Amino acid sequence: MTSGAAGTAGATGVRASPPPTGVTQRKVPRPGAAVVRRVILYVALIVLAAPFVVPTVWMIASSFKPLSEIFASPPTIFTDSPTWAAYAEAFTFQPFAQQYFNSVYIAVLVTLITMLVSSLAGYAFARIRFPGRNLLFLVVLIGLLVPGEVTIVPLFQMFKQVGLINTHWPLILVTALAAPCVLATFVMRQFFISLPGELEEAARLDGLGRVGIWWRIFLPLAKPALSAVAILTFLASWNLYLEPTVYLTSPELFTLPQALTRYTDAYGGEMWNTQLAAATMTVVPVLVVFLIAQKQFVEGLAHSGLKG
Amino acid sequence: MARRDALTGYLFISPQLIGVLVFVLIPVGLAIYYSLNDWNIFTGELQFVGGDHYAALLEDPQLPSVLGATAIFSGGVVALNIALGLALAVMLNRRFRGVTLFRTLFFSPVVVSVVAWTLVWGFLLQDNGGINGFLAQFGVVGPNWLQEGPTAMAAVIVTQVVRSVGINMVLFLSALQGVPGELYEAARIDGARNSTMFTRITLPLISPTLLLTAIITIVGALQAFAQIAVLTQGGPGLSTTVLVYYVFQQAFDFNNIGYGSTLALMLLTFVMLLTVLQWQLRRKWVFYED
Amino acid sequence: MNTATKLVGLAALATTIAVAAAGCSASAGSGGPVATTAPPNSVDLRMTVWTSNEDQLALFDSIAEEYKSDHPEIKSITFESLPFADYNTTLTTQIAGGNSPDLAWMGDLSKDLIASDALVPLTDTLSETKGWDYDDLLGSVTAEFTADDQLYAYPFSNSPFALYVNESLLAEAGQTLDTDNLTWDQVSAVGSAANAATGKGGFVIRDFNYASWNTLATVWTGWGASAWNEDGTECTFDSDEMVKAFQFLHDAIYVDKSMPGPGTTADFFAGDSAFTIAQVSRASLLDGSFEYAVYPLPAGPEGTYSVIGQAGVGVLESSAHVQEATDFLAFLTNPENAAKLAQFFPPPRESLLTGEKLAEVNTKLTAEQLQTVVVDQISDAVTLPNHTSPAEIAQKAKTALDAMWTPDADVESVLSSVCTAIDPLLAK
Repeated sequence: MTSGAAGTAGATGVRASPPPTGVTQRKVPRPGAAVVRRVILYVALIVLAAPFVVPTVWMIASSFKPLSEIFASPPTIFTDSPTWAAYAEAFTFQPFAQQYFNSVYIAVLVTLITMLVSSLAGYAFARIRFPGRNLLFLVVLIGLLVPGEVTIVPLFQMFKQVGLINTHWPLILVTALAAPCVLATFVMRQFFISLPGELEEAARLDGLGRVGIWWRIFLPLAKPALSAVAILTFLASWNLYLEPTVYLTSPELFTLPQALTRYTDAYGGEMWNTQLAAATMTVVPVLVVFLIAQKQFVEGLAHSGLKG
Repeated sequence: MARRDALTGYLFISPQLIGVLVFVLIPVGLAIYYSLNDWNIFTGELQFVGGDHYAALLEDPQLPSVLGATAIFSGGVVALNIALGLALAVMLNRRFRGVTLFRTLFFSPVVVSVVAWTLVWGFLLQDNGGINGFLAQFGVVGPNWLQEGPTAMAAVIVTQVVRSVGINMVLFLSALQGVPGELYEAARIDGARNSTMFTRITLPLISPTLLLTAIITIVGALQAFAQIAVLTQGGPGLSTTVLVYYVFQQAFDFNNIGYGSTLALMLLTFVMLLTVLQWQLRRKWVFYED
Repeated sequence: MNTATKLVGLAALATTIAVAAAGCSASAGSGGPVATTAPPNSVDLRMTVWTSNEDQLALFDSIAEEYKSDHPEIKSITFESLPFADYNTTLTTQIAGGNSPDLAWMGDLSKDLIASDALVPLTDTLSETKGWDYDDLLGSVTAEFTADDQLYAYPFSNSPFALYVNESLLAEAGQTLDTDNLTWDQVSAVGSAANAATGKGGFVIRDFNYASWNTLATVWTGWGASAWNEDGTECTFDSDEMVKAFQFLHDAIYVDKSMPGPGTTADFFAGDSAFTIAQVSRASLLDGSFEYAVYPLPAGPEGTYSVIGQAGVGVLESSAHVQEATDFLAFLTNPENAAKLAQFFPPPRESLLTGEKLAEVNTKLTAEQLQTVVVDQISDAVTLPNHTSPAEIAQKAKTALDAMWTPDADVESVLSSVCTAIDPLLAK
């Protein structure tokens, strides 16, 4: 799927600045034209950024509005009479704190299992010769291509047979071992395959076995790929919607995406402001973590060898 | 030694292999079995109906619209996602004040949960919502976005792309920076224009990334469920009822497990065919450095 | 039928025979017809409900506590609150997943459950329970949950639809209402004027949202229309009456602007519209931020009419404790407890249906209001359209009806396309 050079090229990653002879650099820039060009670039970027930024800002701002102001015309971004009422309501209406905890612990657990399973499999597929290796790799890759909708009904029946309906196990096991994990295995393999062959020889001289090589040599080297895997897997689990809708029926077991759509009154009417407050609470912490760690975040993804 | 090593290899891949076997391959087999049966969900009765559900595919009056919507949605998402991802990457692949801020802004929706993101867009797209309110400031009467087929489809495509284009942007950025600068230098000496350099040098060199992102984006688009479920519930009419949503309706709303499984298998066939097709075509347009 | 279901069915049959043979050996304390054979502390009962209202759940818990104190075999009775929006899907998933509750509230899922023999027939048990007074139930409210002369669910809630008026908004718009002769034409005219004067919505059919079309029965019944014929085999969306009713709605939206169009959110209870059609039970959403009044549904061309939305509670055949669950149901719905439930849910019992009785427990509406909008309505009300395969019919008709909500829609041809879409399902 990739050229041999991909991994090493990936390792150079995103730099804050392009190579000195990058595509944008003019031989003799005329100052006037350059300024105009720069202004156009800024305007274009700001206009383009609006749909990426405004919804989040609007969501946060509107969660403090009284219900009657959310659909006010003309629309407002910020309210004159902010209220925390919707935030309190979010917790009293359903066990939101519990649901928050569910989402976090499931995503963390899934991420850890995936990192372990995918780095083991990725290492073996990249560095160990065994009969049927390519065929088995292909079989594993099928896992990436089968849409969750194909397997969800049979999986439901299988989990029903073993009595795991209305538990978190289906959400943990399927995410940690099926599609998202296969993507992770693929990323890890692509990364490991790009590392030089001398690594193993040197390690063997030090008396390390395969497990030691994997754990002591390759995992530390694979930090960028592992962080990409962690990010993608965490988001995959965090965003699961279809699966919890199918497997879980008790509100105290719900995960956040599922919980967010349940803010309706006893008759199905939408509780708009409560929904917005709850959505804000699910988005802001992740956004803050992302803003703090955005460099590692973006670079991890770029370094991952996922670039083909 | 080699045999022991091979054994270690099998051991290392076994958790992943067993995972795929149990949670993907066996379920696919079961789905085939279900597609051959009728199932009364309340009583648990299973009745063998042979190829009836496959024949029903041909007679389902809704299916052509559903397939059409699926094609438009997936095609739209892939085209827009890759075009916008590449455009953003090119714009941000340079040095200027605030470049990191912009990269962060464009990437930020990736970490916002799909449901929260879609709920907010649902608000903004209401007839009396934020977007039309904004347009009204300029005397423009905006369309009733989610109530008319074409604009509803545009809305689900755009919300999906805006939310997820950040990943492609980063992958393209890293690919662009892997393109050796000397190539551009040489081309410029030959008098090549920017656009020529882009199509002759940049695109071929990042084509492996293009292939990979295309595959990931298509598979993602074919599985987009939450966006549809929250934003349009497949409407108006069937205009945004994509196959995934239809499968869910049949299997879990209408309790037609057998027919739902048949539809799901059709979806699987599409994904497989598309992937094989792209894989075959890659020789034609993917450039390899070695 | 699988083995488990068969066994449960046999058990239920055995129970019925035992009841018949014993000639109603009612235990005086609880009123249950048969004494349970279950050992003490061995039975856990679970009932799914869609309310998450704390007061309502507290009332259920207190009734359950009282029942438990007399029934040592009961270890626990829990009320599982499932979200209303996917109540049917969730309940079906539980049943299919072998995790079925013992008792369940149900709305439009009842026909499917009855048709699949998934519910326990109740008539014999209830009529043989001492003091239960089966004949107190109104015929008009039991019809929905009855098949072959057997009642399969107790219709605990029978909430008539009513016209809510935002009087503050009408005053602001300088409009008055001739409340003695309320008609749809008048509501539309006043709504149109209110919309023009204030920019707020005219009348809103609550929960319709241009998707849940069955709520429009609150309108079309006034034109003498119905979704399908009496035995549910033939679509009547294409009848002249229905065409006229939809023409009225279409004009209201696109000509008179008296009804907010699709994609416009206007919440009556937040003060966004002059009128709404909603169930009487929604009075709890009134927060006193504006003056309001409640009237029976306006008259249509065919005169006055009433519509109720119903919910029933039944016992699932797949329950492991059919006998105990049925006995608890009999206790939950006996006259004494039915009176308690009446504070939230308009009861099916004639003896409880007076304005004064209902007013004792209702803080939002007066005895007089309750008499006119509840009591006087229930006895000859029609219910919202209901059929087997409700979700599929709802979706197919909704998909076809979407074409109605554009300014230049051809009402007649859209309605006939609705029939084309749902006739195959009705014929099943």
